[in-house]
Amino acid sequence: MDGSWITSAGIDIGTSTTKIIISRLKLVRASSALSLPRYEIAERQLLYASPIYQTPLKSWDEIDADRVWSIVSGELAKAGITKADLKSGAVIITGETATKANASSIVHLLSERSGDFVVATAGADLEGYLAGKGAGADRRSNQIRGAVANIDVGGGTANVAIFRRGKAIGTVTFHIGGRLIQLGERGNLLYISPSIRPWLNYRGYKLERGSSITFIDLKELCQQLCRSLLRYLSGNASSEQTYEAHTLLLGKPLNPLPDMEEWMVSGGIGKLMQDQAPVTLAETAIFQDIGPLLAHTLKECMNEYSLRWIEAEETVRATVIGAGMQSTEISGATVHLNAKLLPIRNLPVLKLDINEAMFHPPIELGHAVEETLRGSTSLFDSEASPPFALSVTGTFALNYVNLQQLAEQLHIRFIRYFPNSEVMVVICERDIAQALGQALQRRAGSGLQVICIDQIRVEHGDYIDLGEPISGMMIPVVVKTLAFSQRDGGMDS
Amino acid sequence: MNLTTTVLGKTYQLKSLKEVLAKANEEKSGDQLAGITAEDAKERMAAKLILSDLTLGDIRNHPLLPPDIDEVSRVIEDAVNDKIYNEIRGWSVAELREYLLRQETGNNEIRRISRGLTSEMVAAVTKLMSNLDLVQAAAKIEVQSHCNITIGQRGVLSGRAQPNHPTDNIQGMKASLFEALSYGIGDAVIGINPVIDSADSVKNILLATKEVMEKWSIPTQNCVLAHIKTQMKAIRQGAPADMVFQSLAGTEDGNKAFGIDVALLDEADELIRREGTGTGPNLWYFETGQGSELSAEAHHGIDQVTLEARCYGLARKYKPFIVNTVVGFIGPEYLYDSKQVIRAGLEDHFMGKIQQIPMGVDVCYTNHMKADQNDMDNLAVLLAAAGVNYIIGAPMADDCMLNYQSTSYHDIATLRETMRLRPAPEFEGWLNRMGIMENGRLTPLAGDPTVFM
Amino acid sequence: MIPSIELDQFVDRVMAELEKKLGSPDVSVTTESANSNAVTHSATDSGVVTIKVPQPRWEEGLAELIESTPARIGVWRTGTRPLTKEMLKFRCDHAAAIDSIYGEVNEKLLEQFGLFTVDTCYENTENYLRRPDMGRIITERGMDLIRESCKAKPQVQIVVSDGLSANAIDANLPDVYPSLLDSLTAYGLKVGTPFFVKGGRVAVMDHIGELLQPDVFVLLIGERPGLVSSKSMSAYLCYQPRKGTVESDRTVISNIHPGGTPPVEAGAYIGTLVHKMLEQKTSGIHLDL
Repeated sequence: MDGSWITSAGIDIGTSTTKIIISRLKLVRASSALSLPRYEIAERQLLYASPIYQTPLKSWDEIDADRVWSIVSGELAKAGITKADLKSGAVIITGETATKANASSIVHLLSERSGDFVVATAGADLEGYLAGKGAGADRRSNQIRGAVANIDVGGGTANVAIFRRGKAIGTVTFHIGGRLIQLGERGNLLYISPSIRPWLNYRGYKLERGSSITFIDLKELCQQLCRSLLRYLSGNASSEQTYEAHTLLLGKPLNPLPDMEEWMVSGGIGKLMQDQAPVTLAETAIFQDIGPLLAHTLKECMNEYSLRWIEAEETVRATVIGAGMQSTEISGATVHLNAKLLPIRNLPVLKLDINEAMFHPPIELGHAVEETLRGSTSLFDSEASPPFALSVTGTFALNYVNLQQLAEQLHIRFIRYFPNSEVMVVICERDIAQALGQALQRRAGSGLQVICIDQIRVEHGDYIDLGEPISGMMIPVVVKTLAFSQRDGGMDS
Repeated sequence: MNLTTTVLGKTYQLKSLKEVLAKANEEKSGDQLAGITAEDAKERMAAKLILSDLTLGDIRNHPLLPPDIDEVSRVIEDAVNDKIYNEIRGWSVAELREYLLRQETGNNEIRRISRGLTSEMVAAVTKLMSNLDLVQAAAKIEVQSHCNITIGQRGVLSGRAQPNHPTDNIQGMKASLFEALSYGIGDAVIGINPVIDSADSVKNILLATKEVMEKWSIPTQNCVLAHIKTQMKAIRQGAPADMVFQSLAGTEDGNKAFGIDVALLDEADELIRREGTGTGPNLWYFETGQGSELSAEAHHGIDQVTLEARCYGLARKYKPFIVNTVVGFIGPEYLYDSKQVIRAGLEDHFMGKIQQIPMGVDVCYTNHMKADQNDMDNLAVLLAAAGVNYIIGAPMADDCMLNYQSTSYHDIATLRETMRLRPAPEFEGWLNRMGIMENGRLTPLAGDPTVFM
Repeated sequence: MIPSIELDQFVDRVMAELEKKLGSPDVSVTTESANSNAVTHSATDSGVVTIKVPQPRWEEGLAELIESTPARIGVWRTGTRPLTKEMLKFRCDHAAAIDSIYGEVNEKLLEQFGLFTVDTCYENTENYLRRPDMGRIITERGMDLIRESCKAKPQVQIVVSDGLSANAIDANLPDVYPSLLDSLTAYGLKVGTPFFVKGGRVAVMDHIGELLQPDVFVLLIGERPGLVSSKSMSAYLCYQPRKGTVESDRTVISNIHPGGTPPVEAGAYIGTLVHKMLEQKTSGIHLDL
């Protein structure tokens, strides 16, 4: 197979806006004719970017899924893409609308109406990571020694992803966004998000709906808000200031804080930074929120720190571009597949780390497999088929005897704990999937079907989508990671 | 044409010029494999004696591979200047040798008569020359060439940075390249042999090397040593190539086995002139090596020294920037041991230079050849003395992609310091600005590749 | 598509995970130990990188460079010459390469896999190196033995040969060969009688092919040793090799060793190649992969 293209979609449904992109990914052979086949995504091209839509809402925090669908189907039609064309992609529901009810309705809707193409996911860490990639922070970090932070600021949250030498080394999210405080053109406060209350209280701001605020006071508030974030990221915060920043945190803080050299801003706020600075309340409140003022205050405040500010490659579309263009990976091309079983979506990952010592003799291997699989019965639905994807990691090269021992242990214990599963999915880090797959299948006979792919790195707690085979050799994979800061060594980008 | 002689009481009657040329060769396993070599030392001497009395006219009048059946012969024949040839056609091969070695004969004289010589005449005289003859005669010849910078000046020893990687990993290639640059290597070319012969891959490597050159304002040229057709495809897709590369054989059939012919080379020549990024006028990189015609069964019973000389005759048509023989790469069935490799290295360098080729040598061996790194040290010193334009720089002489050993970044730096040679002037100026070299010597900074990160 | 987990459950879990955000981040501590000459550097996961450049501009960057390639870089110098240990390391690797050319395949290994031995006309290693043509022909005695011992016209004929590296066979056959057999079995293919050829070249396939007339021939042969690995093996595959078969009709998987093409996976994939050759009745450049 020579180079070929696959089409991928990205859909970002945020607190205030919804956007869609269509991209195509070029698969090229990345190994010589004398080696085992291996393919890589050599090029990611943006084919189509939709206009930015207001996210259709039923109430202030409930997404109108039907109207989202009409946007999506209309945009796909405009881009000239049919469902069958789409091989991969991701939907991401972000910000304050990333609630259970919304995620659920969108997931149901898209899986019912759009066939097999996309997947739904949510999570501030993933959002920050995808935005960072879409904004180009990962690529930029390869050109300098220190870390690069991308701060993706939208309506409700600021998602920070930090990259060093091309790898994500941490993500952190703050309740900072353009629509957390909404106001009219005379400074009359229309809405104050509960998520910013802890910080307002800490700073002693007494803002109430219906009261008013002056431009000067609002600007000062924005400055305090920005500095709270920037001080924390720059590593200059005192313990008190760190505490202050923690009042804005969504989830875990960054620990340790990496040494950063540059930062950039994406998201709606990143875009607004390019516009004229507002100097009056009326100019501030053109969208009835603090967005324009927050953007310009952020820009001014960033100059107060020693980190270099650089322009993001993408601003308002960074997340959707990251989701549509950067989320898909390709498995190794020597694998064990059963095309009839694919695609499989939203498969949780169970991890088994193996090392050489476990095989001499393989008793320890047996214990490790036993422990992993027995433990998994309480975590996963034992009636599901498959219940999970087993990720086999470890950096040493398995010989034939070890591989058979591994297959034996995995098979015995899988059928013991998951007797009703008709499918077993194994994901290997190293290039062993065809051999391990055939060893497992030989043991499983015709009852249990084995899918074994490799050269994909997944972690416990991730979810994974396995796409339909390409040329019968490999499959596109979307790894949905919920927490990047937990990974040691970062993630390949 | 007299093909008879008597040596030590035995009379030898050889049948053809082809046989004389083959048997007059120093011992080479490749000629033995082809079954064309002298039976013993005496017969070898007989052939040399016969050859020494043949005239240049005899050689031209008895083509080994007639121009009407071989396009390489046509290219060589078409390039002969008949006026100059007529002045020297009556010379015996012995006289040609002595002319070349005479003190009054310098670069200009050799340059002039070279226009009257065919590749076969060059091969013939080589067979009468000792190793030191080959060193001295070659040292007289200065062949400069210019792609983005000029190399080949007297007193200059350039190096090809050869930062190959077993899986074409761009980061890995850059890492080896940074190491090369930090030792002052890379003035001949940043030349990478790709594992994957695809236009995408070639383009990526060209872009990556060009990016490094631009980021650090490095006065040199880049090249990816894929098949010419792949390079052409990449260039047409916008890849920034300063030069194009191709391996050459000394016969039309040999080139066919490489998937090329003169028409294709002409097409590539036009393309690199129109769409290449190099300044020129010299925009080609060729590689050759004794034995390739035999390995492709395209040798027509001709010995490997003569065929090698014909490669340079073909290369000359395209006014290359650099040409090197990959002297010990092919294996022991063609060059058995270090003695044969050293001989071949000196022969090839001389035969190239006299045909006005800007000649470098890949001083190298494979692990199944009876040779080791000490032999490469020896040959590298001999070639530096002979004025070789450039040699190859691989990290610690070990090419982890092609799986053979050549010369190292360290070796080139050592030859420069020991033999009082310098990098190409423009490149040296850059090394000085980077603080890597000072007064022709490496500074304490040299050897730290992170200078380029 | 078969149902994986219920969507509701999935959403539940995602949301639950988001809320608790999985434990506190583990910090991977970079351990650095130092002695008077060298600083060892804890690298991500590919082992320890030794930094020899005394005062690199960027030490972490240097580790990154060294990890990105098997090439011998970051080696430093004394004057313009390499450091002693580095030079000796190079010579050791060369010594290993030489030894693998002049070595012999372990008899026990051949017994273990039930491989009997025939010779080519190579005579001795010196001659083997000079006369590749003689390594392409089996001796008459060998041909008789093959005729007596082997199943004629097998679907798949497997032959093992030392080629230029006996070490390569010792090191990789125990992984490649059984994995290949498993793969062939999984495809339901029938294997003829395997054997070992001493002093073989690739085209020995053609000579044996004339006699046994297999549909697909698999030759596992030691490669010319390099310094990175002296134990590298190749698999040459050909559909109906006969006298006069051209090289472009052969399909090759090379660089099989634990640091290169993974042996066990290579064995499994070679089975896939055989299967494709039988389906398409061709091999080499004509085979559609």
